[in-house]
Amino acid sequence: MYIRPVIPADIDYLCTMAKNSGVGVTTLPDNRQKMQAKLDKAVASFNKELPEKDRLYLFAMIDPATKDIAGICALEASIGHDDIWYNYHVGKTVHSSKDIGVHKITQTLYLSNDLTGSSEICTLFLMPDYRKNQNGQLLSKSRYLFLAEFQELFGRTIIAEMRGYSDEQGQSPFWESLGRHFFQMEFSDADYLTGLGNKAFIAELMPKFPIYAPMLSPEAQRVIGQVHPDTEPALAMLRAEGFDFNGYVDIFDGGPTVSARIADIRAVKDSRTIDVEIRTDAPEPDLTRKDGLTLVSNRRFEDYRVVLVNSTALQDSTLHLSAAQAEHLNVDNGDSVRAVALRPRRSSDA
Amino acid sequence: MLVVRPSNFVDLTSIERLLDATDARVTTLPSARDKLSEKIGQSDDAFNTGIDQDGPASFLFVLEDTEQQELLGTAGVDTEAGGGYPFFNYRIDEVVHASHHLNVSSKVPILFLSHELTGKTLLRSFAIEPRVKQTEAFDLLSRARLLFMACLPERFQRQVIIEVQGIFNDKGECPFWDAVGRHFFGIDFNTADYYCSVKSKTFMSELIPQHPIYVPLLPEEARGNIAQNHEAANRACQLFYREGFDKTQFIDPFDGGPVLSGDLLNLFTLKHVRHKKARPSDVVGGMKYLISNRSLNDFRCTIGTLVDGIGETIRIPLEVAEALNVSEGDAIAYAPL
Repeated sequence: MYIRPVIPADIDYLCTMAKNSGVGVTTLPDNRQKMQAKLDKAVASFNKELPEKDRLYLFAMIDPATKDIAGICALEASIGHDDIWYNYHVGKTVHSSKDIGVHKITQTLYLSNDLTGSSEICTLFLMPDYRKNQNGQLLSKSRYLFLAEFQELFGRTIIAEMRGYSDEQGQSPFWESLGRHFFQMEFSDADYLTGLGNKAFIAELMPKFPIYAPMLSPEAQRVIGQVHPDTEPALAMLRAEGFDFNGYVDIFDGGPTVSARIADIRAVKDSRTIDVEIRTDAPEPDLTRKDGLTLVSNRRFEDYRVVLVNSTALQDSTLHLSAAQAEHLNVDNGDSVRAVALRPRRSSDA
Repeated sequence: MLVVRPSNFVDLTSIERLLDATDARVTTLPSARDKLSEKIGQSDDAFNTGIDQDGPASFLFVLEDTEQQELLGTAGVDTEAGGGYPFFNYRIDEVVHASHHLNVSSKVPILFLSHELTGKTLLRSFAIEPRVKQTEAFDLLSRARLLFMACLPERFQRQVIIEVQGIFNDKGECPFWDAVGRHFFGIDFNTADYYCSVKSKTFMSELIPQHPIYVPLLPEEARGNIAQNHEAANRACQLFYREGFDKTQFIDPFDGGPVLSGDLLNLFTLKHVRHKKARPSDVVGGMKYLISNRSLNDFRCTIGTLVDGIGETIRIPLEVAEALNVSEGDAIAYAPL
């Protein structure tokens, strides 16, 4: 499996993928026209035809055996420029009276555009058949090597919005207790509209004044900043890379936003460059194991590639690649690549 | 004879007993003795020196059965709601949330914290012995204040307001409080109510939530109680509506009860008041009137029959003259009951 930028011919695959993603991946619109626009934007971004802050870098994971797209992921250079970027900032209001001995801290949600200008990790989707063999890790983390290579194209911090809690029926307690009163529609519909990039309605309908959390249902209060159970692994992955909850939640489902300074992300910070040596005895990666794997990128902007290799391929002065791996990475002997361990060492090993 | 007169310190124990007996919540009359005494002291000052001066004054009247020498009720009026401090209310307002594109449009009611009524004339501290609540004593006690104001209209702001008791149950549970104030004050309704009357007013400013409250987020019962009066206040409301008061967009920040407002000079009592010289005599027949003397610091008001006519002088029954402490030629004020 390898990662490459999307190309115009990917449109059909992408539309199929959007159909499969369902509610929860708001940045993957199940609408051909919108998807085409998104793809066009990504292609223009890789061609540097757009201003840096407007760029969207959309990557596809390719199954070399079939050339099918197994998954996609993206980097948004700078959020909140085309549309307004909304979050609730989870703040506090303190009410205190010495006279009657009361000191109360009230969680308060403030509608904000504070994250405008941050970069964003988004649109991660892996086709169900490919959810194995470290594919999810490869897909998600391939972006860090891009960030490491081209930090100047991104903001100082990068965020990821995590899907908020909803029950088996797809009901979001946060939405039921807050958004529904103002939007008069189902969560899935609101979600769909956002996915289409139609955010004007948020400005029109969303309550603008701060919301005292105790005014929400107990269930809604409980899920503020909580991720959907299916998103727990993704959250854990981000945390391990140095992301942390930044006090902002999604205005619809209350899901947390996590953020990190790009320079502080483990896979950015720990990555290093090394030259390629193509060898017939290059080790193959054991994808059934979690450790012993290394991410390698070709450091190029236009035909950016990432593959997973066996960590033992990383020698003192060169990285040993098989001819097939070199082809997937689109590199030759002597080319410089960027490498980092797929997973952080567990703290007990450190 | 039922007479309304200024309160004094001798009334202290009687007022305490009365407050125990009434079903009405009288937030502005604390049952704690030292605070109650302070209120009476303030009222004393108001009647003695506050009539001619500017600034906040708090007049407290009592209703007395002069034959039984029994105290049957209290009623007050403040020249300035808040008395120099902010006077808190929620103002019910609406914001329209509409999206043409989505064909959604809704008016969302929002409660905004407001000090707008600070400094208005405030009718307050009404409590009446339950036994006489359904009699004309109720009207006498409530409206005597208005007759007092009719004798001294320049001392009061034209806008007159009343906070009507909102809905709570026998156990003292108040749905509006539980949905709003309780989250921030951390105490139950009765305690809050008690603190309101005995603690300094700063705790209110310290604890009351400053951000607007979206009504749709409140539980149904709390929503339904907004601007609704307690059934114990039905009679008072009827009386005030008859006087010319109306509901406002303001509500009590604690129990959500309505705030009524009226224009002083257009209240029924002030529009129909007459000022004449008294001639005590045997009056036969006539209509019932609310009658008061015009001695402001020894104000007296009662109910009696008069035959209204032309001229500067009017005959008043001897017992009324006695109750009002009025002699031949003294000025009186009267308005139809």
